[in-house]
Amino acid sequence: MDLHTVWTIARKELRDALHNRWFLLYTLAFIGLSLGLSYLAMSGSGIAGFAGFGRTAASLINLVLLIVPLMALTVGAQSLAGEQERKTMAYLLAQPITRLEVYVGKYLGLTMSLFASLVLGFGISGLVLAIDGSGASDPWSYLILVGLAFALCLVMLSVGFLVSALTRRAGVAVGIGLFLWLAFVFLGDLGMMGTAVAMRMPINGLFWLSLANPLQVFKMAAILNINATLDVLGPAGIFAMQEYGSKLPLIFIGVLVIWAVLPGVAAFVRFDTSNDF
Amino acid sequence: MIHFEHLTKTFGRYRAVDDLSLDVKPQQAVALWGPNGAGKTTVIKCLLGLLRYEGRITLNGFDARTQGRQARSLLGYVPQELAFYDDMKTLESGYYFAQLKRADMARVPLVMAQVGLADHGAKPVRALSGGMKQRLALALALLADPPVLVLDEPTSSLDTAARSQFLNLLCQVKAEGKTIIFTSHRIEEVEALADEVLIMDTGKVIGRCPAYRLAEEAGLRTQVKLIIAPDKLDAALHVLKADGFTVRRNGVGVLVDVLPREKAQPIHSLSRADIHITDFEVE
Amino acid sequence: MFRPNFAAILPPSLVAVTLCVLLTRSAHGVAARADAPAFDLQAMIAQAAPGDVIAVPPGTYAAPLLIDKSVTLEGNGAAILQGDGSGNVVHITAPGVTLRGFALRGTGLSLDREDAAVRVSAADVTVEDNQIDDALFGIYYENAPRGVIRGNTVVGMDLLESRRGDGLKLFYSADTLVEGNTLQETRDAIVWYSPGTIVRGNVMEHGRYGLHFMSTDNHIIENNVLRGNSVGIYLMYGSNYTVRNNLLADNRGPSGYGLGLKETNRATIEGNRFVNDRVGVYSDSSPLRPDAVVTFRNNLFAFNEIALVLLPNVRHNVYTENVFLENGEQLSIAGGGELAQNEWALDGRGNYWSDYHGFDGDGDAIGDMPYVSQSLYEDMAARHPELRLFQLSPAADAIDLAAKAFPIFAPRPLLEDPHPLTRPPALPPVSGMAPPPVALNLVVALLLLAAATVVLTLGLRSFMPRDTPSTLRTSIN
Repeated sequence: MDLHTVWTIARKELRDALHNRWFLLYTLAFIGLSLGLSYLAMSGSGIAGFAGFGRTAASLINLVLLIVPLMALTVGAQSLAGEQERKTMAYLLAQPITRLEVYVGKYLGLTMSLFASLVLGFGISGLVLAIDGSGASDPWSYLILVGLAFALCLVMLSVGFLVSALTRRAGVAVGIGLFLWLAFVFLGDLGMMGTAVAMRMPINGLFWLSLANPLQVFKMAAILNINATLDVLGPAGIFAMQEYGSKLPLIFIGVLVIWAVLPGVAAFVRFDTSNDF
Repeated sequence: MIHFEHLTKTFGRYRAVDDLSLDVKPQQAVALWGPNGAGKTTVIKCLLGLLRYEGRITLNGFDARTQGRQARSLLGYVPQELAFYDDMKTLESGYYFAQLKRADMARVPLVMAQVGLADHGAKPVRALSGGMKQRLALALALLADPPVLVLDEPTSSLDTAARSQFLNLLCQVKAEGKTIIFTSHRIEEVEALADEVLIMDTGKVIGRCPAYRLAEEAGLRTQVKLIIAPDKLDAALHVLKADGFTVRRNGVGVLVDVLPREKAQPIHSLSRADIHITDFEVE
Repeated sequence: MFRPNFAAILPPSLVAVTLCVLLTRSAHGVAARADAPAFDLQAMIAQAAPGDVIAVPPGTYAAPLLIDKSVTLEGNGAAILQGDGSGNVVHITAPGVTLRGFALRGTGLSLDREDAAVRVSAADVTVEDNQIDDALFGIYYENAPRGVIRGNTVVGMDLLESRRGDGLKLFYSADTLVEGNTLQETRDAIVWYSPGTIVRGNVMEHGRYGLHFMSTDNHIIENNVLRGNSVGIYLMYGSNYTVRNNLLADNRGPSGYGLGLKETNRATIEGNRFVNDRVGVYSDSSPLRPDAVVTFRNNLFAFNEIALVLLPNVRHNVYTENVFLENGEQLSIAGGGELAQNEWALDGRGNYWSDYHGFDGDGDAIGDMPYVSQSLYEDMAARHPELRLFQLSPAADAIDLAAKAFPIFAPRPLLEDPHPLTRPPALPPVSGMAPPPVALNLVVALLLLAAATVVLTLGLRSFMPRDTPSTLRTSIN
């Protein structure tokens, strides 16, 4: 793999993302909503005389759960299928470069664009919170929150790439991406809620089942980071704390890594063996 | 330079290319000629490593499948469907692909000038005309000064004026000593550029010959439409049939099937019979 | 800690003892001041007369020590009482003793014996300004009424919560004053059958129950800081409590209550700040009798996961002029069900709810529409606690959204405040909350923005070489 080539493609991909109106829309939405949360935190600290960063962080987690998968799935789904649809992929692959370089370059470029979007949102709201004096009591936990959101970005980007590698048209890929977003964000959890109530699932089973949804994993990891406990999550959270305790961060990060790597590798394999340009 | 050994490409049960073998020598220009669906473009895509195939393709000894990067670094490709990054500037596109090809950056403006795009560097690619885009494609193909050019229907999307301009450019490039493999369904293009022609149909090579013999070899026909006053139409049909032409009536005129170099023959026949031709078209 | 000038207030007998001490020390030379001073504390007590003040010179003294005479022991913060790790360090059996200014350590490890740093079994004993480290039990008053426990610091052992002892335990010790103490990493501070005890200005951190009252009546609990415990204050089986101006923050874990009430009658909970607890107030069967009202007035419930968790058996509670600010949930009814016979406003004054969406047309700072707390997801989570796993999930919001769109799914309102306040009432000033590190937060935010700028600059950079004329380099887009 030639790093110069990868970097050239990554820069191109980043450049395209910054010109992609969906990407800009999501970024603006993310910044706007996180600013809104900062404003709420400020009005809260105005009344109480101090801020409760835990609640602000909880709202940020909620916001990340909603927007980050949407953003990453959409750009990921467009990545390969979009160029294929515009026929530029065949031209690109006809250059003296390998498919691995194209894939890694695109992944890296989109990763950078999502990173920029994420740190812009977190940076601006962090700035507002800091100036207002209602920021995190432990700045590290804020950075870790950003890091976890970024990990979720990578997971969703990989899933998006997989969708993109399996479809030929960008429109279809984005449609499937949006459906997956719905599934990850709403349908999966609603289904699990229904199952938990209807089947009287034991809480350990519920906890392990919830690890199947990377959004849940991000959420639990983020709550653990901010609160140092999962008691907010009721019996299942308390069970997890008592049963796995200090191993939990490792479990969460491990699951996120698996979620980022497996679809990403599968997408590459599909792309590398694709016969359809 | 380029060797195809028993190249076969199947899509399901359909054989797009069936056992093609070809040896392109250095500085030779070889055309793949045939109607749409003959498998010409598929051969090119196999050469570029875009498709999996059976058989073997090598460029200067590099296997196109297992040493794709080295093989592709020897060739510049002008695709049939031009697909550039539309929002990039013309010159910037040049620099971008020069970086991907690891070409000398200093060559970018030179090549742009060579294809006559020096004054259009600041335009985004989407603002270029079809002819300019085609020239940009050629410029990008030439960036790293590769020994081989691969052209897929190089003039199919151009109008007449742009076509001859572009063909001239290609002839210059050829004169510089490039090896060229290209597909075409235009006989004049093949005659102008190629040394040797492979005639393809439904995936099979059905003939090969020097380029100047293509028309005869292929039994190529042209249709000439002659517009004739309505009261003379039957007489004209009769005369032409008597002179051995394949002819049929078509609206206000007749359609005559001729060899490309004998397009004037039916006109002569009718003149001899004193049948007045008001107009004609070549299709 | 402020210490008055020692010599200026010495009573005559103390001067005598001090002289004696000085003599003893000089007689034994430098060696006597080493780790095991020749000053025999136990013998000194035996020799002293009731009412004597014994000033103990700096040094480490072997314990256990039995104080069976009504004397005052002054350690001046430099005398160390080192237990042998079996049983109590100091046992006070005489009334009127004062133990002041010592460092105590080395209790036993037996929870059955309740090994304590200071064990008191006599009335009117003062334990003051002592530093107690690594203690199983810290200060334990048993059948020792009218004591004063003031200005002590107790740090517990580094054990599992369940294997620790109580930092402070009062058992059948009525009318005790507990003031200005700091307890850290112990189990509970428990007040048991000790009516009339006042607990004021203490800090209880990182324990199980910050303050635990069992079967005991008539207490004032004020100006304490209860932070980082499983439960801040737990009131059980008692009556007549005034709980005011305490800070109950960061109390989390499986129970995680700021204040817990169980079968508590007649309590006034006023001016407290419940901040960042898992649950602000948890209440079960309080009060037991309709006339023994529990009143919550002018408290701040801010940034808790749930402000109030009430069992359906909670009735005759009054909530007025409280501020419910940015809690994850304002109210949850444990196990589901309905609340009844509680008042959410008094004399036309309700509470401030940060999620109130009504308006105040007549400008009297009281909303014209009642505040109604109603959420389908919260209702489900109250019935099926395992569903709390989906807390903060957008799916939980979706459930509530659906319930709003299709009122047929809407649950019964949990509470209705008929006179919600549209402006938060004035609250007692907040202390004890550490402000976030502004400068460091600024640095972090600026770092993030710098990272964004780097990536954005990179993405907007052209592929042209740097020496290309600028007219060609500027992007068309």
